[in-house]
Amino acid sequence: MSSNRTRIIAAVEIGTNKIVVLVGQVSPSRLLHIIGVGVASARGIMKGEVVDYKAACEATHEALEMASTRAGADIQEVWLAQSGGHLDAFYNEASVNVKSADNIVTALDMATVCAMAKEKELPEGRSRIHEIRRPYRLDGRTVPAPEHLVARRLEVGYWIIHGPASKVSDNIHVIGGYHLEVRELVLASLASGSLLTNTEERTKGALVIDMGKGVTDYVLYRDGHVLVTGTLAVAGEHLTNDLSLGLRITTAQAEMLKLRHARGTIQTRDKTDKVWLNGDGAFGDRQISKLAIETITAARTLEILEVVKQKLGPAFEAQHCGAGVILTGGTSRMPGLEEAAARIFSLPARRGEAPTWVNDELRDPMFSTALGIFEFALRGAHEHPVPAPRKSGWLVSLARIFATT
Amino acid sequence: MNEPEAKPALPPGRSWRDIRQEVQSVAMSRRGRQRQILAWMKAIGISLLLAGVTGAVYYLAHSWATDRASLATAVHSERVREVVLMTNGVLAQAWVSEVLALPKAISLMALDLPALRKRLMVHGQVQVAVLTRNFPDALVVTLQERTPVARVQVQAGAATPQQLLVAKDGVVYEGRNYDQQMLAGLPWLDGIRLVPSAEGFVPIAGMAEVSSLLSTVQLQAPHLYRGWLIVSLARLAVADEIVVKAQDIPEIIFTRKRPFFKQVAQLDYIIDRAHELPDPMLKSVNLTFDGQVPVRLENASPDASSKPSGNFLKPVGQSKGKREF
Repeated sequence: MSSNRTRIIAAVEIGTNKIVVLVGQVSPSRLLHIIGVGVASARGIMKGEVVDYKAACEATHEALEMASTRAGADIQEVWLAQSGGHLDAFYNEASVNVKSADNIVTALDMATVCAMAKEKELPEGRSRIHEIRRPYRLDGRTVPAPEHLVARRLEVGYWIIHGPASKVSDNIHVIGGYHLEVRELVLASLASGSLLTNTEERTKGALVIDMGKGVTDYVLYRDGHVLVTGTLAVAGEHLTNDLSLGLRITTAQAEMLKLRHARGTIQTRDKTDKVWLNGDGAFGDRQISKLAIETITAARTLEILEVVKQKLGPAFEAQHCGAGVILTGGTSRMPGLEEAAARIFSLPARRGEAPTWVNDELRDPMFSTALGIFEFALRGAHEHPVPAPRKSGWLVSLARIFATT
Repeated sequence: MNEPEAKPALPPGRSWRDIRQEVQSVAMSRRGRQRQILAWMKAIGISLLLAGVTGAVYYLAHSWATDRASLATAVHSERVREVVLMTNGVLAQAWVSEVLALPKAISLMALDLPALRKRLMVHGQVQVAVLTRNFPDALVVTLQERTPVARVQVQAGAATPQQLLVAKDGVVYEGRNYDQQMLAGLPWLDGIRLVPSAEGFVPIAGMAEVSSLLSTVQLQAPHLYRGWLIVSLARLAVADEIVVKAQDIPEIIFTRKRPFFKQVAQLDYIIDRAHELPDPMLKSVNLTFDGQVPVRLENASPDASSKPSGNFLKPVGQSKGKREF
């Protein structure tokens, strides 16, 4: 169903560090115009999960209010990024014998095999977030569109992402607390990946790693399709913790040191090269070895990347990842991260660059996921169509208000 | 022992879309509650607006149906200065004005046209009446009038007998403005029973046939029609017969089962042939039979009256070329 109206949609990322809201005006021809931005420091969120509902609501609603005010428009619906260690995924595939006597694949064969591949039951209390289809295979050969082709056997696989219904509900209810409806959930890694890679790179193969404060999301593309997605509950926050513990300083001091001197790889060779802890020359300020800082952060960075590689398992093959590793997220600003990634994955690594249509103000990695939500949903990066616009109009709104009581 | 039934577990693998999104007011932030109240106010406002619009529409419709005077005050219109009559009959503009009895200073919009039309339709002479406002100040009355085909004499109790007219559709009415000479030429109706009704009398049944007979004879043999005095419908319902009393023939019996044109032709022929007889007084002519016309003559012998005259049954027009039917 297509709408003849312009929709005001908010893309929301409830992160561990920041809550980002972008308000977009989406025209009936799917043209996007960003008209409002809202950013608030996250509260009540730990590793992508809501741990303090009230605090999370206050922070999120503050960002929504800011974005809505700047946009000068009333937000109609929300597309929400989903991230966190609670998310899981698995691959399930199915195959059918082509039914027709002349072995020509029909739409019915395709529908049947897709339904079979998706119908695997999840553990109790889990909810499906995404069902991402991989390419069809006809008698073993990969084809993008098998209809009307001749074969005896049709196979397809789905990458099914799911999470505990309770934790997913918490995120949704934070938006509901602002009297808004979540119309689409988008996995954060898919959102970032859609924004930072183009069709050519996805076809060559690319690994996108979104390293935030509490969570590291990743997505691996091959042959233009999503192969694997995943989330680690380890990210920039751990670098801060490591510095705090290793150097016996407070978390705030460790955070400051991380932002100023942390590196993904060790660059400093001189053990006597030191930096001031606070840098203000006040009482209690002291000098700390730069090498020590880099050693701690590089070790943790390499470990995180190594875990990502392990999680990818056999799905990751360097020769099938021609576009290399693309890094984004707040922690990707850390110098030396590209070298670390290149060392671990034996591939060229670079920081992700937003497409040219993105304004300079929004090119910061902080906005990658929120922008990616629009990109993912509007450009159709997976087989699901853009979510149908909610039926609008004053009569429908009226009915909805009465229905919610 | 009755154990409580275990609650069925939620089906595994639900979509996130199955999650209920609405949250209670207590779980909302201050901004959320404000938005909810605003949405409620909008909903209530729209509901009130809808109710208002519905009420206004109902009020206007109700006013239109019941209170035209107040509606008229809302629309500017002038006082009625002229009543224009358009009719296919004889009724006069003065009569229409008298019947309508419009108040002197009434405005055109204040006129209750359906009520005025009713006043006109009470009179049987008016078959159709259409009233239209011709702005700024004229009321146009278009009438279609009934035409009388016969007349009846009515006397209620000891009152003076009154002459009423009967139209083709059987409606009995008091004719106005008709030419008296024309009315004097109309035959009288007999053998009928007038049944009073709220609007005068119940229409007379069978007048369509009578009208057809009269129009046929009026058109085809006006010399015969001029001599017709009374048309009786007494035997119409039981025997399908219309009995006419003419100046020179006491009884002419027609039947509605045969074409009137043929019967009139036969009558004309018989009258012509009768004039050729030495004593031409016809007492009765019965045109109800298809093949023969029994005729009774004044002072005729029983033999002569009982037999149909063979000479009378010659085809019409055979002996007299001057009668053309």
